[in-house]
Amino acid sequence: MEKVEKKLREEAKKLLADKKVDVIVGYEAGTLPLTATPVFITTPEEADKLVWNPFCQHNLAKYVHDLISAHKESQKRLKPDDRKRKVVGVVTKGCTSRSLVIHLQERQYERLDISILGVPCTGYADRRKLAAKLGGEDILEGTLEGANLKIKTASGEKTVALKDVLAGNCVTCRFNNPVISDMMLGEPAPAMNPAAEYAEIDEFEKLSPEERWAYFEKEMAKCIRCAACRQACPSCYCKVCFAEQSMPQWVGISEDPSDTQVFQFMRMYHMVGRCVDCGSCVSVCPMGVDLRKFLKKLDKDCFVLFNQRAGEKVDFPAPLQDQRMDDKEEFIYSPGGGH
Amino acid sequence: MSHHDKPAGKKSEGWEPKIVAIVCNWCTYAGADLAGISRIQYPPNVRIIRVPCTGRINPFYVVKALQAGADGVLVSGCHPGECHYISGNLSARRKFATLKSFLNYIGIEDGRTTFTWVSASEGERFAQVIKGVTERVKALGPATKLVKNLRDAAVAVAK
Ligand code: SF4
Ligand code: SF4
Ligand code: SF4
Repeated sequence: MEKVEKKLREEAKKLLADKKVDVIVGYEAGTLPLTATPVFITTPEEADKLVWNPFCQHNLAKYVHDLISAHKESQKRLKPDDRKRKVVGVVTKGCTSRSLVIHLQERQYERLDISILGVPCTGYADRRKLAAKLGGEDILEGTLEGANLKIKTASGEKTVALKDVLAGNCVTCRFNNPVISDMMLGEPAPAMNPAAEYAEIDEFEKLSPEERWAYFEKEMAKCIRCAACRQACPSCYCKVCFAEQSMPQWVGISEDPSDTQVFQFMRMYHMVGRCVDCGSCVSVCPMGVDLRKFLKKLDKDCFVLFNQRAGEKVDFPAPLQDQRMDDKEEFIYSPGGGH
Repeated sequence: MSHHDKPAGKKSEGWEPKIVAIVCNWCTYAGADLAGISRIQYPPNVRIIRVPCTGRINPFYVVKALQAGADGVLVSGCHPGECHYISGNLSARRKFATLKSFLNYIGIEDGRTTFTWVSASEGERFAQVIKGVTERVKALGPATKLVKNLRDAAVAVAK
């Protein structure tokens, strides 16, 4: 990990010094112990701020989209000949790379607009799991020592194994190494446990519709509709989200539970073939809504129905951009028989 | 399912389901027309919304219909390979396969949403579909999930 970080800084410096990129989106140490936060580096001198560790949680593809679309918008005022390309370098783990692929599939920008600094990923620490291990005590100091976190709280020193607090999406991650990159900053990381990726979904499917509805209702009742989940999601880049449209007004803003349920249901449904299970939405949710229980189902269906996983292949249309004459259609009703 | 906490006016006794049918102009709507012209009887529970193509249907229409209190939603278009716009129904099929599965997953009863194909020459099939869908929805009783009940809630508070 330190090796990757060292290499990352070196390469970032080179890219910036050679003017190969205009900005690098990466992670720097957060203000609290054992955290990392997104950072935008524009000069070689700043490149030493970059870190790579198990606290690098956010899917940075979000910022890549933001930066490039803002830049393109600003260029509209110029004559076509005077327009310049802005190249965004991005520190890219597996999930981030798949979000970039989705942006490319959806023609949000060109491959030449981005420079992908691939990092092998072994997962990030889930703040909630960590807080639970510490009984909710504040972390006063913390360091990463090999596979363990050494933490100081008001009640003393504690050691927490990193593997015990890895985020759920990391534990079963199938693409922890980037699916595309311009350079790899280290040897590929060992596989996680993708065989179990749908275990939770399979369990949930076994419940009765009433039990599933009760769970959905309960989780959605927690949601305060702050839309942080959407803001954090790299696949939610619409200029005007349906949630804010007023003609037509797709979702009401009343306190009727159905308004929140419908907002969430459609926000999630928009992720068919577009959710890379990066966990960014889950990690930013202030209310701890179990979004993954639902989002992962979409991923499973996409695989079962269309044999595709979100952002897996760059030269291939996204699942809902594509169609086949022989797509499965067991769900189609036939009167007086079948279904 | 229980029928006890149903909003007023939706008592299961004498209750008739409201079903929204969103159909494409070229096949299913013409099929419905044919059923009418041929005087084939089918239950009067459907309200038909005509759209150019199933590919044009925003999945949100289905969810909005449920929220607005439809007891069932039917979407029907041209058979695969017969789309007036070549492949609109194939795009729709992918959208609705995932939509229906996701609705079922959160606990919406399977019979609430129905997707099918009816061609312009299938007046008989149209009637069969409407009959079948109405029976399915009747068996489930009035819809309660995802339904917006503000007015009823306001009445409860006032009491
Ligand atoms: S929905 Fe959540 S997990 Fe999926 S891509 Fe968006 S932020 Fe990541
Ligand atoms: S929820 Fe849907 S409409 Fe809103 S930003 Fe996300 S993808 Fe766009
Ligand atoms: S971040 Fe959480 S509380 Fe906020 S809108 Fe999303 S699910 Fe709801």
